[in-house]
Amino acid sequence: MTGGRGGREGARERESGARRRFTLTVVCLFALVILGILLSLTLGRYPMSPGQILQALRERFLDAAGGLLNRLFGTRLPQAGSGGALTEQMLAIFFNVRLPRVLLACLVGCCLSAAGASYQGVFQNPMASPDILGASSGAAVGAALAILLELDARMVMLFAFGASLLTIAVVMLVSGTARGNKLLRIVLAGIMISSLCNAGTSFIKLVADPNNILPEITYWLMGSLAKARPENLSFAVVPMAIGLAPLILLRWRLNILTLSDDEARTMGVNVGLVRAAVIVCATLVTAASVSVSGLVGWVGLVVPHLARRLVGSNYRHLMPASMLTGALFLLIVDNVSRNLLLTEIPLGILTAVVGAPFFIWLITRKRDTI
Amino acid sequence: MNVSVSGLTFSYGRRRVLDDVSFEAGGGELLCVLGPNGVGKSTLFGCILGLLAPSGGGVLVDGTPVEKIPPRELARKLAFVPQSHAPTFNYTVFDMVLMGTTARVGGISSPGAEQTRVAADSIERVGISHLAERGYMRISGGERQLTLIARALAQQADVIIMDEPTANLDYGNQLRVLKCVKDLVRRGLTVIQSTHNPDHAFIFADRVLALYGGRVAAFGEPASVISEELISSLYGVRVLIRRGENGLPRCEPIV
Repeated sequence: MTGGRGGREGARERESGARRRFTLTVVCLFALVILGILLSLTLGRYPMSPGQILQALRERFLDAAGGLLNRLFGTRLPQAGSGGALTEQMLAIFFNVRLPRVLLACLVGCCLSAAGASYQGVFQNPMASPDILGASSGAAVGAALAILLELDARMVMLFAFGASLLTIAVVMLVSGTARGNKLLRIVLAGIMISSLCNAGTSFIKLVADPNNILPEITYWLMGSLAKARPENLSFAVVPMAIGLAPLILLRWRLNILTLSDDEARTMGVNVGLVRAAVIVCATLVTAASVSVSGLVGWVGLVVPHLARRLVGSNYRHLMPASMLTGALFLLIVDNVSRNLLLTEIPLGILTAVVGAPFFIWLITRKRDTI
Repeated sequence: MNVSVSGLTFSYGRRRVLDDVSFEAGGGELLCVLGPNGVGKSTLFGCILGLLAPSGGGVLVDGTPVEKIPPRELARKLAFVPQSHAPTFNYTVFDMVLMGTTARVGGISSPGAEQTRVAADSIERVGISHLAERGYMRISGGERQLTLIARALAQQADVIIMDEPTANLDYGNQLRVLKCVKDLVRRGLTVIQSTHNPDHAFIFADRVLALYGGRVAAFGEPASVISEELISSLYGVRVLIRRGENGLPRCEPIV
């Protein structure tokens, strides 16, 4: 019995060890994301020093709140570094272009990774990615249509978002009436509908004016955050928050969904309900991401696997780690996209160039013996 | 805790798989369900667990029809051990076992300190504490089966249903798993398990339910129920049943 008790203590110790490792990883990732954001804000065609950035941020956001705090509690907020003030023009660039773009890069990376991890769980398939059901293809045909009709950037975003959600609604409707294995028929319906959408996009490209409309469609399809503005940020952040919250809350149950349906049900999980909730939320954040960034592949497939290497398969740890890793990943890639060459390199090209070899490395590397 | 099956009938389309099956199990016993492949053992378990809706008759769990019990409540009464399988993702043995506590965790929360303790205890009870942090994909078939049994224990149900827990295991692992199951029954659990091997029933079972052609061919204590005629009608092979050195009967195939 004493030996057994030692084993139990040992198991508990190891368990708390795993949790410590997870906490450390998440704290490090979070610090890296914050550091990455600050660093990214300094980069660009008009370099700004960290002091200038902090000062600009303080002037815009803290002066109102900080002034109130100073008056109420008599605190003295620290002064920003000695960077010297930014000009009006640089302030405009900073708040209207650079800040929303950097934040959107983080949010899109975070959402695509969370959605990818979720889809991989509910479809019990490590190869699943956010576009498995056609959310991206749907968004593409919506955006292409809006560009064809020469609508403004705001409508392109709304069309992409709406078409993406509509596509998934059709996929769920079709799969609901089909016969056979439930998971398989959802995925098959997704493949069918997204191939229809791709046909639609191709047709729009065919009839689009090759001088000004077609390049714009093509550029959208390659994915970019170059057109990120404050209004994109404020539009996308709402569905993202609505979708991410349940994914975080349901993350333990996602573990059970990766087992067979019968097992999950005998363990007391309402499989149909939880799976539907996860699919709807993952689709919502994917649609919101794609509508502001265009098609950005690979992130949702690669990042969850990288996060699995860091914290293991348990979704309780995997979901937060995926979200932070995804934010960091896309932030870095977007920095390359806007700073490497004089012209922008579309995000989708870079994520493929980085993602594909990275994925090959992940799957060929000798497995950890955890 | 008591599971009572009465007049259970189940059909896949026109094909009747179970026909008027009745028996009871409970009170800390090991019930072995014997029968050839495809006789409906898994279907029977599906009906007991509320996964399949029978076309006639029914299953009572503690006097309540199983279809009337909400999934989470049912999971606290009945646990299921499937045949060991490779999962999609490489969970640690500990996480796999911890998943068993889900029925006792709120819908949107994760297991807490109490569930962690239950999982550690369950792992210890089946004797695989040393595997706790290993990946489930990296352990042997027998160890996987023990992990799934620990997961069922973590569910803290009084009745555990096991679908051929010794299938695909080598000789030593079969006996290790069965010994572990027998220990659990000695401590008050009720286990209903299917098996192909009548010798396992002789050694470990308190009672035997023999299914043939979807009907109950025999139900009772192994020594009085398992006969040379029964084996020959179930499996279509001839055996001699002899008492071994250990005093237990066993089958000797006539080849």
